[in-house]
Parts: sequence; structure tokens; C-alpha cells
Amino acid sequence: MTLFHFGNCFSLAYFPYFITYKCSGLSEYNAFWRCVQAGATYLFVQLCKMMFLATFFPTWEGGAGVYDFVGEFMKATVDMADLLGLHLVMSKNAGKGEYKIMVAAMGWATAELIMSRCIPLWVGARGIEFDWKYIQMSFDSNISLVHYIAMAAVVWMFTRYDLPKSFRLPVTVLLGLCVYKGFLMELFVHVFLLGSWTALLVKALLTGAISLCSLFLFVTLVHSN
Amino acid sequence: MFEEASEVLENMLKWSFPLSLVLFLVLVCPLRAEAAHEFSVYRMQQYDLQGQTYGSRNAILNTEARSVEAEVLSRRCVMMRLADFSFEKYQKALRQSAGAVVIILPQNMSTMPQDIVQQFMELEPELLATETIVPVYFALEDEELLSIYTQTQISSSSQGSSSAAEVLLHTATANGFQMVTSGAQSKAVSDWAITSLEGRLTGAGEDLPTIVLVAHYDSFGVAPWLSYGADSNGSGVAVLLELARLFSRLYSYKRTHAGYNLLFFLSGGGKFNYQGTKRWLEDNLDHTDSSLLQDNVAFVLCLDTLGNSDNLHLHVSKPPKEGSPQHTLLKELETVAAHQHPELKFSMVHKKINLADDTLAWEHERFGIRRLPAFTLSRLESHRSPERHSIMDMRSVSGEATAGPHVDLTKLTRNTKVIAETLARVIYNLTEKGATGDLEIFTEQMQVQEDQLVSLVDWLTAQPRAAQLLDKDSSIVNTLEYYMNRYLKDVKRHLVRADKRDPEFVFYDQLKQTMNAYRVKPAIFDLLLAGCIAAYLGVLYLAVLNFGFLYGFLRRVTAPRVKQH
Repeated sequence: MTLFHFGNCFSLAYFPYFITYKCSGLSEYNAFWRCVQAGATYLFVQLCKMMFLATFFPTWEGGAGVYDFVGEFMKATVDMADLLGLHLVMSKNAGKGEYKIMVAAMGWATAELIMSRCIPLWVGARGIEFDWKYIQMSFDSNISLVHYIAMAAVVWMFTRYDLPKSFRLPVTVLLGLCVYKGFLMELFVHVFLLGSWTALLVKALLTGAISLCSLFLFVTLVHSN
Repeated sequence: MFEEASEVLENMLKWSFPLSLVLFLVLVCPLRAEAAHEFSVYRMQQYDLQGQTYGSRNAILNTEARSVEAEVLSRRCVMMRLADFSFEKYQKALRQSAGAVVIILPQNMSTMPQDIVQQFMELEPELLATETIVPVYFALEDEELLSIYTQTQISSSSQGSSSAAEVLLHTATANGFQMVTSGAQSKAVSDWAITSLEGRLTGAGEDLPTIVLVAHYDSFGVAPWLSYGADSNGSGVAVLLELARLFSRLYSYKRTHAGYNLLFFLSGGGKFNYQGTKRWLEDNLDHTDSSLLQDNVAFVLCLDTLGNSDNLHLHVSKPPKEGSPQHTLLKELETVAAHQHPELKFSMVHKKINLADDTLAWEHERFGIRRLPAFTLSRLESHRSPERHSIMDMRSVSGEATAGPHVDLTKLTRNTKVIAETLARVIYNLTEKGATGDLEIFTEQMQVQEDQLVSLVDWLTAQPRAAQLLDKDSSIVNTLEYYMNRYLKDVKRHLVRADKRDPEFVFYDQLKQTMNAYRVKPAIFDLLLAGCIAAYLGVLYLAVLNFGFLYGFLRRVTAPRVKQH
């Protein structure tokens, strides 16, 4: 397609980040450099994950089309490192809970957007062939922004020492869901043979459900004291 | 609290599945994703013969696909299926200066109805005769290509009709295809050599008359890569090689060693005005001192298209005089056909050589011009028969009813036997020795082997044998030479290269290419998409601005519960 198509995909992918940054009041806190720091942490954590995966999970050479359930599960477990990284970012920043969460999530998601979607869009969306997958990829980046905000919120709640006993279980469940969401999605796609649009929709709904639940818990927790 | 959260989660999951199913049907079905498809295309012939240009002069293609129903075809790639192909449609595409024409042929030609095949065969020479700058390609149908064709057809037919809203909807759902070939522009192949093969069986004695057996081995069709030429002239080559085998056995025994030299010649470039034969005659008659062709040639028998039908025609350019060896052959052919194979209808066809024509009709006319007594044996009554220049001339799978021309092996075997018997009667002068008409020589151990012929025809039709594709190192030429070496003596190659200054024939390259079909959308689709994205972002902006409402609502919902605790 054309440069125009790339522009379309690009704006679809990036504008929600911009809107969120501007409207959530982060810009008033001068939080830009803190977001960049969070992004740097993201890079560091991803590097560590990659090293770990490359060392302990050599490429599985099973038959094509066979789903390596255990292997994928183990790989998803490595994503626990993301939680640690988010916690690290939030513990470095002083401030209110919302602020900490938003800075960590924005930095984290933006770094991911730049690192993993920029080049495919630039190469693919400008190519001669039209494919819906670039539009889908842009939607996916919107979903992952919501996902990281929810994840940061859950991590923040989990690490609070004044967390009530009754909250412990739902927060842990949500934490697990956040980490294994990618794995669950892959499993869904594999088992139900979902098309790309359906998979995107399921992913959006799943992420929406997780983030609504975490928002619910967050609101209750913040205003219960 | 947890129960409530899980309830929300459960409800969401419960609802998401039927909802997603509906959305799946709405979104995915009309947009069935197709990746770029890559397929082989075969370009139409492009050659110059005696200063005349033929075929398509262009190879580069990079345009959007349309089916022929679309109103505007200029600078578009027009796709047609063989079933819908007609000369008028083709002419319409050329008149509107289409960017290219792609004709989709079925994988298996035998599935096509007889009349379509016949019609296409008759069109082939016309397609080539009208020289065009539009690149014309042929592709073999597969599932993806068919789906591309169907989508192109849908989008082409809906153009220029209906309201603006329909057109907008249509641009979002339908796919356009950009067809791109990978190769460069076609250019003349310099110094191309056409190979002909010669071999002989020498008779017992001195100063013997010579019988020359000739068949051209190349094939011809509208696209060189699709010309398998099973009947024309794979059958002639198979017969010639079988005759070489049979007579080499006869000539290896002293008692059956006859008083005739047999000269076998497989000529190349037969479909290009018999270039190989022309050069061979020039080499033998003009340049060398001693040659079998120079003194005492009894006759030259050319074999052309013998693989089917119950007719045999002996084409002559002047009727043979009584008492000449040609006349003997004619009489013997009549005798053998009448006595041994009554179902076979044999006749002589007389046609004078027309030197005003661009091309010669039959191969024997090349010899006729050089005053050698010659004739062609063929199942066809006229040299204008479309079977001789068609890509439909393929080896069909045995036992399957086919529409187009094909080789019937029992008939090919019978024809071979008739020719062998006739030649033997001439060589051993059997009629004068009092043999009856139904005396069969080639029986039992000496019989014509049908499986030998089957394997020969199978091998010859396993790959296209167009003259442009067979250079002097090609496997077909090498194998033919090897086969001739097995049975014949003094096997020699004769190469023809076109003159550099005034070439008699020029071939062009880029005859087989890879074509890519890329899915594309029109510019209006980008605008539409931009509008949708702007609307989406606007909604998102409002949602983020009014996030406080959701927050407040959740707070109100949770607050009383917390107080109860």
C-alpha cells in the first residue's frame, strides 16, 4: 500500500498513547523523564528475559503444527520478570498510587510499542501488498496499553503491606491472569482455531475484563481507608 | 468482593463467545484473508521469422487486474479464463490498450468441452499473427488463482453501477490485485543454435540409392513453455526412432542387408519454416563433395503427425511418375493399407509449392525446392490444421476421454507398422518377387513394440520441446542423439545459427516468469480508513476525558458495601 496507509496505522497505534499521556495529567507532573526511565527498565528486563530464554529454553524442534504446551507455559512463566520490573520502576518513584502506576505503565507500554511495532509497521504497511494485519497490530498496541496499566495497578496493590486479607486472593489471581494472558490467548487461538479478527476481539474482551476487575479492586482499596 | 469480581468475569466470558461468533461472521467472512500469491506464467511466443515479427513484443507487467467485463481496461491487466475466452474479448482488450492480458488455462485440458478447445486451437495462429505490444501471458489454474479471478470479476462487474454508498462499502470489502512480473524486458537471444541430428544405415553394395526419413522434433504453440507437441510432431519422432530400431536389426544380418542406404534425419526448427532441414540441405548439396544426398536419392519420406485417426495422407508437390521409386512407394502403401488394415483410409493429396507464401506448408517442400523427390506422410489432410500449432496438442492420460488432439497409441503403432511394412516391401522389392499384399514381415520378434512407442511418446511429451527452449546442450537433444547412436551409424549434429546481419529467425527470452498477485486497495479506501480511525480516536479521547465518570460510578457501587464490613 502507500505511505498514507502507514500514516493511518501509525496514528491508530500512537495517538491513544498521546491522548492518555495528555489527559491523565501526567504531563502536568513533568513525568516525561520518569516515563523514559521506565522505558529503559523495560529494555533491561527484556534483555534479561531474552538471555534467560536463550540459555534455558533452546528452540524446540518438535514437529510442525504440534503445540508444545509445557514449553510455552514455562516460557510464559518467564514473563514474571515483567512484574519485578514494574515493581522496580514504581518503587523508585515517590508519589501517589495513581501517579506511580501511570508513569510505570506508560513508560513500559511506549517502550514496547517503539521496540516491537515500529519497524514491522514501517516495513509492512508501506509494502505493495495490503493486509489487515497492520491495522490489527495497531489495535493490539491500544489493547496492550490498557493491559500494562491494569498490570501496573495489580502489582502496586500486591506490593502494598496494608492490603486487606480479603484482597489477597483476587489480586493474586489477577496477577496470574496478567502474566499468563499471552499464553491463554495462544491457547485459545490454537484450540478454537480463531481467525485473526476474532482473536483480537477475544483479547480485547479479556483485557477489558481484567482491567475492569483491577479497577474495581483499586477503587475499593483506595477508598476503603 | 471476590465473588462479585468473578461474577463480572464470568458474565463477560459467557457473553463474549456468542458475540465473538457473530462478529466473526460479520467481519471475517467477506474479507477472507489471502496472502500474496505467486505463480508461474508462460509468455506468448515472440519471434521474428524472415523479417516478419510475430507475437507479443513486451514482457513487463505491473498493473492492476481486471476481468474483461470491466468498462475501462486501459493500462489494466485483463484476466480471462479459457472457458470465457473469445477473439472479440481479446481484441477489445487490445483496442483499449490494456496493460497486459493473462489467460488462465485449466490444469487438465481434458476437462474442457470439445468446442472450446477447438475454438481456441483455431485462434492460436491468429493471436500470434496480430503482433502486439501488450504482454500476453498464460497461467495454469489453481485454487488461489481462481479465487483471485473470481474476486477480480466481482469487483470489475460492480464498477460503474450503483450508488456512492455501495461503492464505498464495496471498496472496503473487495480486493484489488496488483499483478507484477519479476523478470526484465524481453530481448533477442543472440547466436541461438538449432540442432538437427542425422544418422544412417548403410546398405550392402556400392553406389546404392538412398531413402531419407525425416521428422522434425520441435513443437509449437501459442506459448513455448506450454507446447508439448505430442502428436505434432512427437508421434513422427517416435515412428522414426522405431523404424530406426527395426531396420537396424534387419541391416545387421547379412541375408536381410538390403541394397538401399537409409538416412535418418531429426530436424530442428521445423515449426520455423524448417530451418534445420534447410541448413542440412545447404550443407550437403552446396558445400561438400560427397554426400548421400547428392547422388541417387530414391525418395525422401517426411513423417508429420501420425498419432491418431484412421486416415493417412501422402502429401506430394507433384504426382509421382510411373516407374519411379516414389510411385512404387505409393503403390506399396496402397497395397499394405488395403490388405492388412482395411479400416485405414489412405489417399494422396497433391499441392503445388507456393513460393509466394511466407512459410512452406510441409517439410517435403524443402526437399522439393532442391529437386529431391519427396513427400510427407500425415494423418492430417491440410497443412493448415490447427493441431500442428497448438498448445492443446498434449499427451492425454490413457483411458480418459479427451476433447483435444491426443495420441492414440494403438493407432500410432498401426501407422508405424504400415510404414515399416511399406518400406520393407520397397527395399526388398517384394511385389516384383511375387509376394502377396497380406504378407507381414514385422511379426513376432520383429514386431513393432507398442511399449517402446509408449515410452518414447511419454518421454517426448514430458517437457515442452519448443525450438526456443532446446539449445544444443538440452537433455532432449542429448537423449535423441544417444538413442540414434544405439541403432544408427555416423550420427552427426548439424547446427543452424541465424545470420548476424540479416537473421532469418530471431528468438526472444523471458518466456517463463514468476508472477505475483498483491492484494491492494484503492486510494479511496485509505481515505475511508483515515476517517474511521479519526472517529475511533475521537471516541477514545472522549472516553479518556470522561474516565472520571466510570471511576465515580465504581466508587459509588463499592462504597456502601465497604461500610457494611
